[in-house]
Amino acid sequence: MAERPEDLNLPNAVITRIIKEALPDGVNVSKEARRAISQAASVFVLYATSCANNFAMKAKRKTLNAGDVMSAMEEMEFERFLQPLREALEAYKKGQKGKKEASEQKRKDKEKKSSTDENDKSRDEEEDEHMDDEQEGENEGEEEDVEN
Amino acid sequence: MAATAPAAPAESELDRSGAEDEPRGTEPEEDGGNGQAGPTAGAQQQHRLAKLPLSRIKALMKADPDVSLASQESVFIIAKATELFVEMIAKDALVYAQQGKRKTLQRKDLDNAIEAIDEFAFLEGTLD
Repeated sequence: MAERPEDLNLPNAVITRIIKEALPDGVNVSKEARRAISQAASVFVLYATSCANNFAMKAKRKTLNAGDVMSAMEEMEFERFLQPLREALEAYKKGQKGKKEASEQKRKDKEKKSSTDENDKSRDEEEDEHMDDEQEGENEGEEEDVEN
Repeated sequence: MAATAPAAPAESELDRSGAEDEPRGTEPEEDGGNGQAGPTAGAQQQHRLAKLPLSRIKALMKADPDVSLASQESVFIIAKATELFVEMIAKDALVYAQQGKRKTLQRKDLDNAIEAIDEFAFLEGTLD
């Protein structure tokens, strides 16, 4: 499946929902307008990414981080986004922390279990958990491998 | 038309608004996304804080050859910013519809907004 920028759209249902929630009741949106907004949103992502990446490169970092995105917003003249974005980021980080702690606890419990005599069971569980752990591991590194 | 189906959980696609504790790594919906009501399994981190699927946002970011790595937070922030952008452009376009005494937002309202508003200048010439 081709993954050129032109082919990547954001889900129509979600875009529609965001639009509807932003507009007063009784307002409709034509299909063409919706499509255009969705396209515009994709272009926005590409542009914001490119902008943010410039900041990362200037700072000689290989990993694009949240601060770079904030700087990009400013550069793109979307200062009005900064405050809500900061708040969202705080909430997000808190959520991440909660997840990490929860999975740490899970892991500890898991270790306790397998050291008892439920060997067969824990092996099965471990397989299930393994996927989970891998993901948690990724999260702890807090970096996504956006390799090309 | 097979989906890209990134089976490897190592990708750690964070998406799925709201399905918090699902220990699943696969994404059933990595396709064109036409009307597919999006959010995919594989969740874990979203808490309904971003409406747009982070996996899709990340895929878009990856399309830039200069981008090597991106933190999860940055993907999330871009998703959130995109949401704010959609709200903003919809509202700004609505002004033009109202001027035309219409209750339906049309493509030309978007075009007008893009032409008139500085922040949308980057969109000029990019839409079909």
